[in-house]
Amino acid sequence: MDLDLGILGQQILNGLTIGSMYALIALGYTMVYGILQLINFAHGEVFMIGSFLGLGTLLGLEALHISLPIPLALLVAFVVAMAGAALLGMGIERIAYRPLRSSPRLALLITALGLSIVLQNAVMLLVGTEDRTYPEAFTEALIDGFDLGPIHISYQQLFTLGLALVLMVGLTVLVQRTRLGKAMRATAQDPVTAGLMGIESNRVIAYTFAIGSALAAAGGILFGLTYSINFFIGYQAGLKAFIAAVLGGIGNIPGAMLGGLLLGVVEALGAGYVSGTWKDVIAFGILVLVLIFRPSGLLGERVAEKV
Amino acid sequence: MRRFVTALIATAALTSLGMPASAADGVKIGVAAPLTGALAKMGADIRNGADLAVQEINARGGIKGQKVSLIIGDDKGDPREGITVANKLVQTGVLGVVGHLNSGISIPASKEVYSPAKVTMITPASTNPELTERGLKNVFRTIGRDDQQGKDAADYALKAGYKIAVVLHNKNAYGQGLADVFKKNYENGGGKVLMFDGIQTGDKDFTPVLTRVKAQKPDLVFFGGEYQDGGLLVAQARKIGLKAPLMGGDGLFDSLFIKLAGKKAAEGSIVTFPPFDKAGAFAKTYKGKYGAEPGAYSGYSYDAAKVLLDAIAKAPKADRVSVMAQVGKTRSFKGVTGTITFNGKGDQPGFKFGVWRVQGGDFQLVTK
Repeated sequence: MDLDLGILGQQILNGLTIGSMYALIALGYTMVYGILQLINFAHGEVFMIGSFLGLGTLLGLEALHISLPIPLALLVAFVVAMAGAALLGMGIERIAYRPLRSSPRLALLITALGLSIVLQNAVMLLVGTEDRTYPEAFTEALIDGFDLGPIHISYQQLFTLGLALVLMVGLTVLVQRTRLGKAMRATAQDPVTAGLMGIESNRVIAYTFAIGSALAAAGGILFGLTYSINFFIGYQAGLKAFIAAVLGGIGNIPGAMLGGLLLGVVEALGAGYVSGTWKDVIAFGILVLVLIFRPSGLLGERVAEKV
Repeated sequence: MRRFVTALIATAALTSLGMPASAADGVKIGVAAPLTGALAKMGADIRNGADLAVQEINARGGIKGQKVSLIIGDDKGDPREGITVANKLVQTGVLGVVGHLNSGISIPASKEVYSPAKVTMITPASTNPELTERGLKNVFRTIGRDDQQGKDAADYALKAGYKIAVVLHNKNAYGQGLADVFKKNYENGGGKVLMFDGIQTGDKDFTPVLTRVKAQKPDLVFFGGEYQDGGLLVAQARKIGLKAPLMGGDGLFDSLFIKLAGKKAAEGSIVTFPPFDKAGAFAKTYKGKYGAEPGAYSGYSYDAAKVLLDAIAKAPKADRVSVMAQVGKTRSFKGVTGTITFNGKGDQPGFKFGVWRVQGGDFQLVTK
């Protein structure tokens, strides 16, 4: 088979675009896991609700006849959706997880699954089951693009990749360079000792949920601007992001980013070079292979035996 | 204990089978369509069409002095749910059912549920040829067949000068069936199909497949499937700079296709659907009642219900077998979608599809 490098590049770009959305969601899974060893299955629904909050904000601005320039309106949507999702994430933690923190891990997992179903159905009852799109003014502003050699880059792809990159860099700075980041890392390492050192672990955990949820909401808006949304998108996207987190090594922040991007690219290459119907088979097959050879994920550290 | 259980089962059997449904509580007919899920809009169109027919007949005093009630079933666009809903409708004692939307549901439900119960099924929307090719006496459709539709689409595409096509489908009975017919006729007519591939319905990102399509440089992309996937396909095709128009069948014929795609991206898309008068009397009445324009299948559903109700009124006895035989005798029935005559299979010979194009953000009839 002769390989056209232009098409290969285009497919990698396609993969990076959806992959950066997976990565934004995967960060929330991995951060919560890092601190609580909990797989927060309700996280996919936070992503979905974030996407609807963004849509609601844009429609609300339209209904109130507040006509802002497109970039400003988008900024408002991102702020509202990310703040709303952050509150939702903190609320979920406070109501559903904190009371169970000393219970067996299985109880938390079941709670997470139950919460996911509750949120999904609540949104279904609220907005119905149909697919919705973001207002045309916004999607069409991003539809065009430019050619970089043989690769066509749409403004939407550029925007998605750019924003995802900014958010990921921001998160890395936050975790590595700030007091809050240091507290988060300390709590992840050993919550009891961190507590003895004067770190309020409840607050750190709440902030972790807030940050992860805000990132998922940003992913949700990017998703809504690109595709159509409905109450069910959190299931599939959440599952893919969870896989991305495991692929990269769950608990590891750069791992979640790498895992998300990699999963997107593998999917795109599978659909582009083999068949659209085999996309998921290929993606999941690779996941299984990676986990056979690196059970702790690509960047996951082998847990040292405690002496 | 065992005797008690036996008695209980016998009583249950008697109440469900023994009582003629029409005696106590009027005439019952059913309508089954996806009222939730991605195709909920088309499902509501079908429900409203049947509802309008029932309301009108009740306003004129019902059938032989009996009120008609419409039992509504939601099949969610899922074959498993479809079988469940079909069973429920049969158990409530309906004489016939208007539905379903998806060929992938109509085909199993008509054979496994309605046929053994002798319940007439008239679908306003299922176009897969197989539906009426199985010798089932209870199956009818007010819409046409995909062997006709796919041929009309291929003929138009070739005549319009599209010589090279890529064919995609959503892997379900309707979408893949239509795509197969299109491909066969298109190739027979001298067209070239460079690629034939399925997509996963419900997926949101189709850019990888479309990038592969773009590399083939086709004149036309044919898609066998429904609007929720078709709308995203055409929107994403434009984003990656794939300019060839999208062509599809009746499953794309809905304003939501244009809404999901965006007006700019949808412009120029080609859809086969029977010609009809958008501003006719039916459209006015419908809009007055439901506050929306009739959808693709509203008229076909209204006609299906009218044919069924007419047969119930004319049948010598108001039981399922007589109604089924009477529906089979439908000849030159004046409906809002045209004159309906069923052949021995339950199809309408001579049914015509037209070709529509999206122009100025709406479907415009190009050829009849």
